[in-house]
Amino acid sequence: MTQLVVQGLRLEYPAARGGAPFLALSDVDLAVEKGEFVTIVGPSGCGKSTMLMLIAALLRPTRGAVSLNGQPVAAPGPDRALVFQDFALLPWRNVLKNVELGLEMQGVAAAKRTDIARKNIDMVGLRAFERHYPHQLSGGMRQRVGIARALSVDPEVLLMDEPFGALDAQIRQVMGSELLHIWERDRKTILFVTHDIDEAIYLADRIVVMSASPGRVVQQIKVDLPRPRGLSIRTSAKFNEYRETLWNLLEEQVRQSGSWARGEGGA
Amino acid sequence: MGAFVNPRWLVGSAAVAAFLVVWQIVGANEIIRSDLVSYPTEIAASARELAASGELGANALATLREFAEGFAPAIVVGVLLGLGFALSKIVRNLFEPLFVAMYTAPLIAFVPLLVVWFGVGSTSKSVTTFLAAVVPIAINTTTGVRETQESWIRACRAFGATRAQIVAKAILPGALPVVMAGLRLAVGRAIVGVVAAEMYVSTLGVGRLIQTYSTAGRAAEIFVLVGVVAGFGFVCVGLLRVLENRLAPWRARA
Repeated sequence: MTQLVVQGLRLEYPAARGGAPFLALSDVDLAVEKGEFVTIVGPSGCGKSTMLMLIAALLRPTRGAVSLNGQPVAAPGPDRALVFQDFALLPWRNVLKNVELGLEMQGVAAAKRTDIARKNIDMVGLRAFERHYPHQLSGGMRQRVGIARALSVDPEVLLMDEPFGALDAQIRQVMGSELLHIWERDRKTILFVTHDIDEAIYLADRIVVMSASPGRVVQQIKVDLPRPRGLSIRTSAKFNEYRETLWNLLEEQVRQSGSWARGEGGA
Repeated sequence: MGAFVNPRWLVGSAAVAAFLVVWQIVGANEIIRSDLVSYPTEIAASARELAASGELGANALATLREFAEGFAPAIVVGVLLGLGFALSKIVRNLFEPLFVAMYTAPLIAFVPLLVVWFGVGSTSKSVTTFLAAVVPIAINTTTGVRETQESWIRACRAFGATRAQIVAKAILPGALPVVMAGLRLAVGRAIVGVVAAEMYVSTLGVGRLIQTYSTAGRAAEIFVLVGVVAGFGFVCVGLLRVLENRLAPWRARA
């Protein structure tokens, strides 16, 4: 069943004085099935994060629409929970209180809030740290809090904006495999933006490849790898094929945008 | 034991002790006229006398009350105004020039006028305290709110927070450490304000005592009273620091 539909989504920033208007996102169409894990890759600055913010309704599109279960999306809400690259935790709240944040916005009673938050803190493996403050946690642990916070409001769709981008490579792989583990329990729909090709393949049912700026969808690749996936799947021949395909697609995009020549390749 | 004493602390104490000894010798032997500079043992005797007669207690209590009656509303008004400055262009345009003027103008110059308006009693002193304190509190609150991180607000908005929820859950707690720093600044200014207002004209208070004893040329009593005022400021700032560490433990390490 199609759950999330993005139609002709376009975002144009008005011209700065004397300049041309900046087109961040150019007419993106996307349909996501319920329970599907979709990763979105593209050259840096292509608007993939922007697209997520538009789906979350933290930004307003110039044109186009987003709908969830057939209903148009107009404002931010707990049916689409975000996980941010910079974690966006509140430093004066401990883990438990940070995870309760979304539930507070919905007016859930205190006792029930704590119950739900604890369950999700357990799920991300932070039971022993619920009284800790963000500054006492490592990057990986902070993002676990971010994930628990997002899951606590029981969203229809989980929007993840380069959630492991600030973590080092090893932690990043572990977090990816843990995320899959959590996802396999309740199969929430996930939209996951990343610039890491291996991560995109490892996690996804489907990979959406975006063009260099202004972003649009160039290709969608179904990932036909068995689940559950262990970390060792990354060395399989099939995985390698996907890797090559994606590299070629992205290289083409980056070359077209000329950002290699300007020395902006990579992250 | 000696090995465990922080040497910096030791040097500091030694310097203070040396100073007191020199002061005692210079004052008690009339090397400089002792009615001008007094000396430590005389000051200690005056302190005992002032305390025993009840003169100090009654006057200190009066000053404390004036201070509290001015400072408490200054916190409420200062924080609200500061929020207004940061969040509303209209409030900012209306009040900010006035505030900048108040911050730079010497408040003491207004005391005669405040006495005309509010009388020689405690009200004019509380009003002086209020005016001295409200400005740094408001200015720091504005700064604190402007420094709140975009990510805190973004997190709240993503979960569908209303404007009021964003203020209550992201902006105010985020601004708290800077607001607390404003309170510390305000304590100093408010103490100067209340004592100065009492010195100008009043019937009761530490400032009035200072005024009385200075007319009588009694250096020892003035030193005692100045010490009391300084001690009060020291305790206030210390309490605010404790409170700040309680309320914003995250800031201490950031």
